[in-house]
Amino acid sequence: MRTTADIFTYKNTSQQERAKGGPLAGKRVVIQPNMCARGWLTDAGSRALEGFIALEDATVVARLREAGAQLAGSARMGELGFGLKGDTGAQAIAAGEADIALITDTMGEARVAAAAHGLFAFKASFGVISRFGLVGLVPSIESWGVLARDLEDIIAVMRAVTGKDENDPSMPDEEPPDLSNIGGPLMKGQTAGVIKECLGGLSVEEVRLFQTGLERLEQAGFTMQEVSFQDFGLFRVVHNVIGSVEASSSAGKYDGVRYGHRASSAKHWNEMYLNTRGESFGTLIKEYLFQGAYFQFENYRAFENACRIRGRLVRDTADLFKNVSVLAFPTRRLGLNAAAATSAREVYDAFSLTLPANITGQPALHVPSFARGPEGDMGMQLAAPRLADAGLLEIGKVLASAMSGAERK
Amino acid sequence: MKYEAVIGLEIHVQLNAATKLFCDCPNRPGDEPNRNTCPVCLWLPGALPKLSREALEKATLACLALNCTIQPESAFDQKVYYYPDLPKGFQLSQHHKPLARNGWIDIIGEDGKQKRLRIHHIHMEEDVAKLVHEMEGRTPVSLVDFNRAGTPLIEIVSEPDMRSPYDAMEYVKALRTQLRYTGSADCSMEQGTLRVDANISLRPFGTDELNTKVEVKNMNSIRNVGDAIAYEIVRQGECLDRDEPIVLHTRLWDPEKRVTMPMRGKFSGPCVPDPSVARIVVTDDWLKDIRRRLPEMPGRKAERFSKEYGLTPEEASNMSQEREISEFFEEVARQGIPPRKAASWITTHLVPALRDRDVTITETPLTSGRFARLLAILETGVINAHAAKEVLLQLLASDRSPDEIVEKGKYRQVSDNSELEAIVDKILADHPSDVDDFRGGNAKVMGFLMGLAMKASGGKANPRLLKEIFTKKLG
Ligand SMILES: [Zn+2]
Repeated sequence: MRTTADIFTYKNTSQQERAKGGPLAGKRVVIQPNMCARGWLTDAGSRALEGFIALEDATVVARLREAGAQLAGSARMGELGFGLKGDTGAQAIAAGEADIALITDTMGEARVAAAAHGLFAFKASFGVISRFGLVGLVPSIESWGVLARDLEDIIAVMRAVTGKDENDPSMPDEEPPDLSNIGGPLMKGQTAGVIKECLGGLSVEEVRLFQTGLERLEQAGFTMQEVSFQDFGLFRVVHNVIGSVEASSSAGKYDGVRYGHRASSAKHWNEMYLNTRGESFGTLIKEYLFQGAYFQFENYRAFENACRIRGRLVRDTADLFKNVSVLAFPTRRLGLNAAAATSAREVYDAFSLTLPANITGQPALHVPSFARGPEGDMGMQLAAPRLADAGLLEIGKVLASAMSGAERK
Repeated sequence: MKYEAVIGLEIHVQLNAATKLFCDCPNRPGDEPNRNTCPVCLWLPGALPKLSREALEKATLACLALNCTIQPESAFDQKVYYYPDLPKGFQLSQHHKPLARNGWIDIIGEDGKQKRLRIHHIHMEEDVAKLVHEMEGRTPVSLVDFNRAGTPLIEIVSEPDMRSPYDAMEYVKALRTQLRYTGSADCSMEQGTLRVDANISLRPFGTDELNTKVEVKNMNSIRNVGDAIAYEIVRQGECLDRDEPIVLHTRLWDPEKRVTMPMRGKFSGPCVPDPSVARIVVTDDWLKDIRRRLPEMPGRKAERFSKEYGLTPEEASNMSQEREISEFFEEVARQGIPPRKAASWITTHLVPALRDRDVTITETPLTSGRFARLLAILETGVINAHAAKEVLLQLLASDRSPDEIVEKGKYRQVSDNSELEAIVDKILADHPSDVDDFRGGNAKVMGFLMGLAMKASGGKANPRLLKEIFTKKLG
């Protein structure tokens, strides 16, 4: 059993927010130390940011406070948000320390962590939530993920944090999704598409489990449709190339000059950089940064190709939605423990089913217990077109009530 | 063998916007170290860059002044390299999608003919921090001043159209004139707000090869640009004559020794698009609005001055090189002062006086009204040119009216015949041999005697009357 100290990087003991009203009044939210909360240790789980105290609130944190949420503290996290090694956001909910957890979702961290703990998780559309105050790693891919036992809590958080922010001019110039009115029964004629290529790598047992999940979807009123996406395997490659390149750039600011760990001795500045960065980063993130540096310095063509292919994947995925309302995927492979991954390859193995939504910027919802077997919960993951966050959460509500109905039976 | 030089210039110009490029910190690199910093320009975790509208407008104005086409879409890239003057491991620069392309500047070539020098593109970028190397006792320490980090620059990349140090110097001069006109930049090479890097290669005359180039940096005046290029042309020519290959590298101009020396290669990294900086999408309305703010540029203005005010081409060019001077001239001319007289007084008296004091007109109390009044008084003959010059210097220092200065300073010229005659008589009596000289046919003596008389009058004698009296008495 984990203790409180194992779960928190920073535990908030301030009583200030408790009395405040608002839509999130009384809800305890745990964030991650890569989200700035004024005065809190914000080290993104890395020695490279050792001792860095945030100067101001991230927009998301400020909006949560305004909505009355009680910030329980920040959990522990995988170094710089790459993968789930050492991540405790979902555990904070499981251990009763929080009702809601915010986790950056760069390749599916929020959804996969939720699957391991029987929670709902929602990854918002890219660009609808401000990234101001997020100590990011992969800016064009990472998104905010919200975990909770109760989907209503996720919806309440999404309402509080979604929308434009003058502090983040990189948000696309478009109307953010309207989340004000989510509810009602499932609209008739909804179709769930299943990409047959994504089932290719699964074991017989996994396919069988996922099929039971799909049957439940059918019972909830969905028409199922198999669709083909020849290039499904490219999502992972594209994510790896672009993600590692952006990570290598983002981590460039961790040089020990202004904050964070600095190597104790060096003969000149270059050696100071090398020693500092060598001592600051763990092996897993180092491997990822090396990959990115390789593409930046030695194989830029591969990066350009990945950017071009990404554009095609985004268009082709959008085309699929001409025929289906949502796409259904398993959330994770059974037997692959994302938290135990020790190499970049193992990290990518563990997130191969969730990362497509990060490449395309689509919203994705993980619904627990739809495809659960003796070996664990594969999870049912639904992805909707970008900016269709409200509709996806609405579907989630229908499935949640179908699920609780089934459990009552 | 005879070689032809192929020269291209990369010029960094600091924009004089009030803030840095991506944050609200003051754009004042010279302040107390690290005073003008914030989470964005220190690149603290969680900060996001916010492009300054003013910097974008000033950059656009500069591009328009250099006849460039503003691109409908431009974007920032991360130029990746690690150095302590970079707070984030990359510099934000528009590598793949620059703000503007395809401009040009006209110069008068060495043959006296107009020569058009093309500009390949202009992009925006942020400046880096300043490193200060000091000794703490016997330990060398390097300090970083982030005041300059993130201040707005444009880089103007020419085509390799220049063929001589002369071309390069004229290009820099013309570019500086154009940019100063827009009010977007101060363009001082001495203060580092305009920095020139030259790319130089040689080829046999008559060919159109583009050979390996050498980059030369660290010239802090236009003359140094010319000298460094001239030196490099000779150096490379000697290498080629010895059959030594030219290798791509960077050299620093040493202004003391007047040579270029190779510098340690600075690693140049890749350029990756930055997803956190908003793309710049230019709308027609916005561009129209910026275009409206573009002033009449010096070339066109000089033509108009010739036509409207009857100035010679040289006078017109002098009156239009600097925007402030050109506007001052025009205001004076519009107050009824003969334009050529105004131009001549501005060139020979006002501009040198300003230069001596290292100020611009607006930094002095002088107005076009008071300057015009001074020239009007001079025109009426109340004061002579010598006195007018004295009054002008006082106008630069106080805001009293020219009339008041003339009265109080007793600058009125002496036009009283008897007073002047007395002076002349005394001089003639004191210099009998010179008088004989003159009468012997040496006309130059008149100038000498006039000078003595003017001096004796304290500079106030009416020169026309004085001459009449001398002529009469010596006749
Ligand atoms: Zn700043």
